[in-house]
Amino acid sequence: MVAMRVLVVEDDLAIAGQICHGLMARGYATDRAHSAQAAFDACHRTQFDAIVLDRMLPDTPGIALLGRLRAESHRPAVLMLSALGSVQDRIDGLEAGADDYLTKPFDMAELSARLVAICRRGGRNESAGEDGGDIAVGRLRLDAASHCASLGEEAIELNRKQFSLLAYLMRNADRVVTRAMLLENVWGYSFDPATNIVESNLSRLRTRLAGLGCDPIETKRGEGYTLRSDQCR
Amino acid sequence: MPVKPRASIGRLAVQFGLAFALAMGVAGGIAFLAARDQLMEEADDALAHESSKLILSGEPNDSASMAQRILERRDNKIISSRGHLLYAPDGRLLIGGFDVKPLPDGYAEAFYRDGTRKWHRGRALTQHLSDGGRLIIVEHSEVGENMREMLVPGILALVIAASITGLAAAWAFTTQIAQRLDRTVKAADAIAQGDLSHRIPTTGLDGIFATQASSLNHMLDRMEQMVRSQRQFASHLAHDLRTPLTRLRGLLHPDQIHEGAAGHEVLDKAERECRSIIAIFDALLRLSEIEAGRRPTAMTPLALDEIITDVAETMEPVIADAGSQLALSAMPSATVLADAGLVQQLLVNLLDNVALHTPAGTRASLALAVTQDEATITVADNGPGIALGERDRVVRPYERGQGARRQGSGLGLAIAQAIMRFHNGALELVDNRPGLTVRLRFPIAG
Repeated sequence: MVAMRVLVVEDDLAIAGQICHGLMARGYATDRAHSAQAAFDACHRTQFDAIVLDRMLPDTPGIALLGRLRAESHRPAVLMLSALGSVQDRIDGLEAGADDYLTKPFDMAELSARLVAICRRGGRNESAGEDGGDIAVGRLRLDAASHCASLGEEAIELNRKQFSLLAYLMRNADRVVTRAMLLENVWGYSFDPATNIVESNLSRLRTRLAGLGCDPIETKRGEGYTLRSDQCR
Repeated sequence: MPVKPRASIGRLAVQFGLAFALAMGVAGGIAFLAARDQLMEEADDALAHESSKLILSGEPNDSASMAQRILERRDNKIISSRGHLLYAPDGRLLIGGFDVKPLPDGYAEAFYRDGTRKWHRGRALTQHLSDGGRLIIVEHSEVGENMREMLVPGILALVIAASITGLAAAWAFTTQIAQRLDRTVKAADAIAQGDLSHRIPTTGLDGIFATQASSLNHMLDRMEQMVRSQRQFASHLAHDLRTPLTRLRGLLHPDQIHEGAAGHEVLDKAERECRSIIAIFDALLRLSEIEAGRRPTAMTPLALDEIITDVAETMEPVIADAGSQLALSAMPSATVLADAGLVQQLLVNLLDNVALHTPAGTRASLALAVTQDEATITVADNGPGIALGERDRVVRPYERGQGARRQGSGLGLAIAQAIMRFHNGALELVDNRPGLTVRLRFPIAG
């Protein structure tokens, strides 16, 4: 497998260093750019799989760079990084063409998990179930019409939240999804609840799945959760 | 800061005075013209009367008989204030005694003089006689002439007098206004120097001044309250951050073990402290975002029953994990204009509170009631509740209920309150005997 190549566009040297260091530790190849112009030039020299783009750069705003990159033939997936964290700022970033938006301060595990998710989205190598169809991972099947999960002959009915949660995990099988990604994509929440909503709902889901005789969801401490396809046999 | 001179109304007094003078001048002119017309009419009446005594119907009205009649009337001394000029058909002057400037036929303004050099003004009636002679009767009006002579100085005097009284009145009036406004100026100066407790004295004020002063005082009350809560907010925030920062600093101290399994645990703790600091900032930004109300476009018709059911499904496992129960009553359908994301946060915040601040075994419930113009969501529990005196306090930022664990941002209820305000609704804390009932009242747009 060829390592994913990521361009980190960030003018703060310490933060850029941390991101590159973190990504390399996770097996990515990284390049750095400290300004929008440098980033634009780098994109012409090298094909990147993804860009981590700071919203506020010394020369041009990150959003303007997005506009220029969009005009190019090959456009890498873009994860926008910003200290501006209001709902409106987020909407602005996504509307400008970013594939995801992460607010500073952030966690390396979070950044890495989101990068994987948007690169997959860009590659479109997995279209099944993206918009509500039936999903299958191994023998584990999820029926969109009846909200039923089944493993072989056994089937259980899930409530709407458990269904969406399992669907998201199955679509991202074998990849780490973080608590924040689940809150955003399964619940659509733009705030951080004081209680651990994700943990409680996941533990319900696991109890339900235990009824099928499988326990494919793994908690990765300090990182997130993974649905393991090898546990769905 | 320099002390301002006593406020004056400045040009306003002069403008009022001049306008008054101008009005008086115009009024004087009109009065004069009216009086002159009246006098002219009277003079013309007198001329007609005199003419009727001289030109007689059924008698010869030639120059010779006219001359005779005039002389008779002069002898009888009937005609003191008028003069006669009689011309024969050949233009010869038959009767005279004074000069007159040329006149048209009929009634006209006449200028005449009798021996002296001075021309007088009067009214004249010029008539042709049967034999072609001409009779001019001149009426002298002393009053009219005097009036004319007095015209310019009269009006001038009137204007000057009016200017003086106008200016004086306007000055007195504006000074009174300035004195009243001066109190406002003094209050504004004091406030500008940081004394927000200053108020405009309302004793002796009436009318618009009293209204203005009390409305400004009301505004100052609100401002003082806002500034006070802002200050409180800042100091509470600083205090709230101090605690996790102190713990964090302790964890990063060289004395702590930072290697091996024990070191891992220390780093995990440090990470948690960082998270709680970030959570405080996130909640703070969220609160200011809601209070600024920057997203009016997110307002859409929202089915409250559906969103309550949805949030209840999410929060039921959370409350169950805390050892308590969440029950959902039957939901009538209700649609309000709302920001779905904010209503979700509102309900999650309140149910978070149940999970975090009530003991295990608490029973919580969610209900929805609809009237014609209001939809009310009720979040009730049978936990320890909040004492009556505390209820106003806990909805303020960083104010926690008695015995509440120092968990969460301390902004939960303040955010809930801000969300209800954003929807023009109200958040009410009521005694559930035992426990707490939170009522969320949404207006239904008519």
